[in-house]
Amino acid sequence: MKQRTLWSAVMVLGLGLAGCGSATRPASTPAESAKATKLVVWDWKSGDASAASYIQKAKADFAKKHPDVTLEFVAQPFEQYYTLLGAAIQSSTGPDVMLFNGGGQIRDRVGSLLPLDPYVTEDRQRLAGWDAFTKDGKTYAAPVTLQGHPIYYNKTLYEKAGLDPAKPAKTWDEFVGDCATIKKATGATCFALGNKEGIGIQFFLSGLGSSVLTPSEYDNWIAGKRDWTSPGVKKIFELWKESGDSGLNNEGANSTAMFNDAFSIFDAGKAAHIIGLMSDIGHWKDFSEFLGADKVGVMTAPLSITGATPSLPYDGGIGYAVAKWTKDPELASDLVRSLTATDALTSFYADAGAIASDTTIDVSQGPVAVGTIVSQLKSGKPALHVALSSKTLDLMGRLSQKLLSGSASVDDVVEELAASDRAS
Amino acid sequence: MPLRSSSSLVRPAGSGRANGPGTSPARHPAGSRQHARGARAERLAPYILLAPAILIIVALRLWPLLLGVNFSFTGDGADNGTTVGWANYLELLEDPLFRGALGNVGLLVVLLPVAVAIPGLLATFIYLRVPGHRVYRSVYFFPAVLSPVIIGAIFNLMLAFDGPLNAVLAVIGLGPVDWLGDPDVAKFTVVGVHIWATFGMALVVFLAGFASLNPSLLDAARVDGASLRQSIWHVIIPSLTRTIQFVFVTTMIGMLTSMFGLLYVMTSGGPEGSTYLPEYYIWIQQGQMNRPALASAASTVLFLIMLVAGLLQISVLRRAGREN
Repeated sequence: MKQRTLWSAVMVLGLGLAGCGSATRPASTPAESAKATKLVVWDWKSGDASAASYIQKAKADFAKKHPDVTLEFVAQPFEQYYTLLGAAIQSSTGPDVMLFNGGGQIRDRVGSLLPLDPYVTEDRQRLAGWDAFTKDGKTYAAPVTLQGHPIYYNKTLYEKAGLDPAKPAKTWDEFVGDCATIKKATGATCFALGNKEGIGIQFFLSGLGSSVLTPSEYDNWIAGKRDWTSPGVKKIFELWKESGDSGLNNEGANSTAMFNDAFSIFDAGKAAHIIGLMSDIGHWKDFSEFLGADKVGVMTAPLSITGATPSLPYDGGIGYAVAKWTKDPELASDLVRSLTATDALTSFYADAGAIASDTTIDVSQGPVAVGTIVSQLKSGKPALHVALSSKTLDLMGRLSQKLLSGSASVDDVVEELAASDRAS
Repeated sequence: MPLRSSSSLVRPAGSGRANGPGTSPARHPAGSRQHARGARAERLAPYILLAPAILIIVALRLWPLLLGVNFSFTGDGADNGTTVGWANYLELLEDPLFRGALGNVGLLVVLLPVAVAIPGLLATFIYLRVPGHRVYRSVYFFPAVLSPVIIGAIFNLMLAFDGPLNAVLAVIGLGPVDWLGDPDVAKFTVVGVHIWATFGMALVVFLAGFASLNPSLLDAARVDGASLRQSIWHVIIPSLTRTIQFVFVTTMIGMLTSMFGLLYVMTSGGPEGSTYLPEYYIWIQQGQMNRPALASAASTVLFLIMLVAGLLQISVLRRAGREN
């Protein structure tokens, strides 16, 4: 009987230890990685083939400064990225350096990030797009790419319709007229739009906003003084509804995914225009593969009111930030600086087609579309939708679907958005 | 000790096997101490042996559950860690999106009979040996082995606005339907696809139920001139009550817990938030909105709903067991 007690005790102990072992192991990994001889980086880019040479050059640059520090890049799936990061932040364990989208995604999480201002002073002038990673005057990440919403157009369709591809419309009315001509000649719709995820409205708001709002209205919006019921803001949503009602969009926009069904529509020449992206995907390089590099044009937003000055909407797209819990902030910041070095970013531009944050990169050899985009960077302004909280963006996505399906009016929509914007 | 000494004469109930009739403690004073220790060990043994399982359940299930419930009473963002009382629950109550998600749970429950009737009817046809029943048996089960993501991707293509299904509809002169873009249609589309994808399992359960059906009853009905409808209604359904109840329970669990994949791939909760379910809401709040505490509150609400549903199911199954 004594033996039986002993056995049960041994079993309890054994099971207990086994249980402890498996429970504590995941927790101990980040602790080890936080040693100053190793840095762990989380992103969703380093696994891509097109980012391989970028990562390699950044690693080489870092190795020159800190040869004895090992780097571990963990490529997470993007759909899961912020969920996984959220869990890591909750437990204050996780990577030392991590990739962020600019705007709401990083601003919601600055509590767990290290202000980088003292470390990146030398890069201030060379890199553009800092604002998207700044909150309350402090910078939390260094921009790698710029993300914005140029209006791309298909020059082949313009030619087929007898329009001059070098002179796209300057005003909204001309634009709608051109679209009617193209539709008649080629059957292609005016816009390729995907609003299944509610992202279409974000692109639309930012892509056309500068042609509807006066410069002071625009700047106020970015500064947080947003008057949702002003005629200008209402006009944007009216244009959105109008393009749906008058058949400017492809059919079934609410069930078409922006990523990547809407891009495919434009690629296939079934739509003449698309408000696309500058980096990652849905950009000049992607479109060029299907339409030909010289057939992809970039136009400024067609004017809806006099007094507006159309500009390219863009922000810092993605950028690397440093976690608060990293053991050696200076080391981690050095890695961020290597990840934004000119050499590395040039590779990223060349291989992935991203418009990199580095303003010293020479793009004169690239296609016309890139030249147009880069030439507009100077006069460009932050995109309107990036200034909104993720909660308001989510709501805007759902309401924009209602506008397209006709189950909500513009007045109701701006009122609801104003309430959500005030609350967040 | 008096009890122990009397044990050889009258053994009280519950005194255990330790002081069995063969051992007289009076004759072995040294052994009595050993026995006392042995009795204690014997008494403790079940607890010690159960301890690992209980500890694992408490540490890995109940404790995190309590932490989660506790977390749902704290704030998000700037209020992280501070107690906010019922604020998260009030916010849920006021959020039309969450209310819509709960409404959709209600819709799933209402659609449950359809989800049970389809495999039941098809199993009946297979049992009645319609031509080609062997082929159908395997074909019907086939979707059950596909992952929801693959099924979602297939139906995304099929149901796209310019997809094959609308093309077929156009041929027979029916207007295109925005299967995934119309809020009134999309939720039924997703439930329909879910039923298509999962009814194979229920079908197998029904076929197993049919195997225990007494064929002489059906023969008797046929001799008496019963029609197909009458045989199903008066012979097959009463004989399969237990199977039907079991399928009801498992189908409901399936609907409430495993539609996330389909929703994620097919509609992302849209259009206009019409296909949200609580699980998807929780995921969005935690992963996209950075509101883990609000997500915890939603999880707690979902947990309570599942608890009630689970208890109802257990009572249904028990009653079914008694009837048989």
